[in-house]
Amino acid sequence: MIPFVTGVRVIAGLELRQRIRGVAWWVLLGVFGLLALVVTLIVLWGVGGLTDGYRSDPVGNAVFSTIVYFVLLLGTLVAPALSGNAINGDREAGTLATTQVTLVSTTQLVIGKFLASWISTLAFLVITAPLLILSLAIGGTTPGMVAVSLLVLAIELGVIAAIGTGLSGLVRRPLFSVAITYLVVAMLSLGTLISFGLGTLVAQEKYEYRGASYIYDDSTGNSECVVDDTTTTSTRARPDYVWWMLAANPYVVMADAVPTRYGSGDDPNDLFGFLKLTVRQLQKAPEPIEQQDPCNYTSDRYPSGREVIDSTVPSWFVGLAIHLGLAALALFGAVRATRAPAHRLAAGSRIA
Amino acid sequence: MSSPYERGWVPPQQPASSTPAPGAPAPGPGVPVAAVAGVGPAAAAATPPLPLSPGEPGEPGIVVEHVGRAFGSVHAVVDASMVAPMGRVTGLIGPNGSGKTTLMLMLASLLAPDRGSIRIAGHDPVADPAAVRRLLGWMPDQLGSWATLSARTALTQTGRLYGLHKLQAAHRAAELIHLVDLGELADRPSRVLSRGQKQRLSLARALVHDPAVLLLDEPASGLDPAARVALRRTVRRLADEGRAVLVSSHVLAELDEMADTAVYLERGVTADAARIAATRVSERAWRIRTADLARDSDRLREALFRAGIPWERIEADAGGILVPVAGEARAAELLTRLVGEGIAISAFAPAVGELEHTFLDLSSGGGPA
Repeated sequence: MIPFVTGVRVIAGLELRQRIRGVAWWVLLGVFGLLALVVTLIVLWGVGGLTDGYRSDPVGNAVFSTIVYFVLLLGTLVAPALSGNAINGDREAGTLATTQVTLVSTTQLVIGKFLASWISTLAFLVITAPLLILSLAIGGTTPGMVAVSLLVLAIELGVIAAIGTGLSGLVRRPLFSVAITYLVVAMLSLGTLISFGLGTLVAQEKYEYRGASYIYDDSTGNSECVVDDTTTTSTRARPDYVWWMLAANPYVVMADAVPTRYGSGDDPNDLFGFLKLTVRQLQKAPEPIEQQDPCNYTSDRYPSGREVIDSTVPSWFVGLAIHLGLAALALFGAVRATRAPAHRLAAGSRIA
Repeated sequence: MSSPYERGWVPPQQPASSTPAPGAPAPGPGVPVAAVAGVGPAAAAATPPLPLSPGEPGEPGIVVEHVGRAFGSVHAVVDASMVAPMGRVTGLIGPNGSGKTTLMLMLASLLAPDRGSIRIAGHDPVADPAAVRRLLGWMPDQLGSWATLSARTALTQTGRLYGLHKLQAAHRAAELIHLVDLGELADRPSRVLSRGQKQRLSLARALVHDPAVLLLDEPASGLDPAARVALRRTVRRLADEGRAVLVSSHVLAELDEMADTAVYLERGVTADAARIAATRVSERAWRIRTADLARDSDRLREALFRAGIPWERIEADAGGILVPVAGEARAAELLTRLVGEGIAISAFAPAVGELEHTFLDLSSGGGPA
């Protein structure tokens, strides 16, 4: 066997040179860069980050978070195409078997291909570097926000690359493995939202309340609050029962992990913070119903964003663990399925 | 030392039992005179003629014992046993779908056999694939090449995957490009290569780590005649350097020219040595030609008749007179007699190639049970 790192590096190098880095990839990268530029300019114009000189609160973090989310969106859309045929594509081209008869191990082969897909996806982050630096220059970002969000972004792109590479080893036809990788991305990004939405429909609770009405007393000229005799039954959603379904959403993982920067009024003022607050608010149980004495109902002061976030639990590590688990499972499965000499073969599959 | 290719085409220097008597003139073009010696042409020069059966002396490069492999209900290889000795070219012969490629894949450590054992230079490809891969070069029947990489890059990177350092790998790639004559094409993307050029690249890739055992799956398919000659030459030299070379093909004439021994595979079963030996003495047509056939025809026919060949079985075709002869010894006897009668024989060779004869004889004798 050849040294692990050497094998992985040669495979990744071959992969980058041969399969991924074609003309189409550069075109895609260029188009993506342009789109990111347009989005950045629109956000800058929208929040008045450049023109409103009097602003005391810089908006660099709003721009920064938008770009990072944009890279996450586009990256998770591009990564399946770049990784989803890494192994079965080589099989179809007849170059997998000739690689497998060398001294490179199946693990090195799979890891090398995964790293190549990951690197080529990270290029989409690298090309937005000038825009990210611009947002840092505007101010408003914090070192923690920048470090954590970029780290989570890189990990999430790696997770998709790993799942794509893994599925390309597990599924025989490139078309299907790419499609399944897209379905996994859709499941995590949209499926979690849909299941949360359905969950709130299921997790409804019935509750009873009494109404109250003010009766005007002609003799005194005063109105008097009188509780109704009958109770009314109604239902309401309990998102606090099903909020955890959102934990595996990559956008939620990102938002939840990034240390929030609070603007005026202790409320977040960037995309990370907005999303984090939205999801955290879902954890809150609805206020108890004043069944008996609606006439003496007084609402608490509406809590600030910081208070909500501080009083609820983070979930990003759960989501991240699920993602990393899926990625590891896919890669492990690919190593097993690609191992040579092959014992069992899927129907209709070919070796060389 | 003359090239293996040239040796393949000159008459043997040391006549073996079955070689024609001296005095037989050089053959005209297109008549493989070496076939007179009975086996492969080069074999005739390098070694005494060998019976076409497994189990030759010498260190075995490949030993296969009762190997079987099924894909679901399809039994691609049922019971294959063979030996490919070091220093020899062994042909793997069988019709399409007979299991040649499946057997090759098992030898190449890509597919595990369901049963039986395989040893490549003493190593088991299932238990110790790394040891096997270090010693084994495999040229697949399907030509996979990294389309956007140049031949040089592909060979260098393959060298790296065999554990060569960068400089070593680059040096080896240059050597191989010279060996397979890809010269000026070496730095163009391999997608511009023709099929024959890709075939040569594929051979070069199989040789990157200087393997002791070589598996060539249909190496000559798609090659033009000049490239075939070059391939044959290369393959002979690789074997003469001490490697075991297993070449599969269904073009038997091509194997006839380069294989020392052969293994016959039909419906997943290899023919055993006894059956192959039986074909050795079975009758087949030999073609005889004289310098001026029109003039000598009657004399030749009479001489053949006197030699004991029934008149009605002496036939003629465009290339000469065809007579049935059973076995090499009988052929040698007949030739000696004809020459003794003063007939100017210019060609005396089997009308059907050795491998083809054996193959057809085995097939017609009823397939394996």
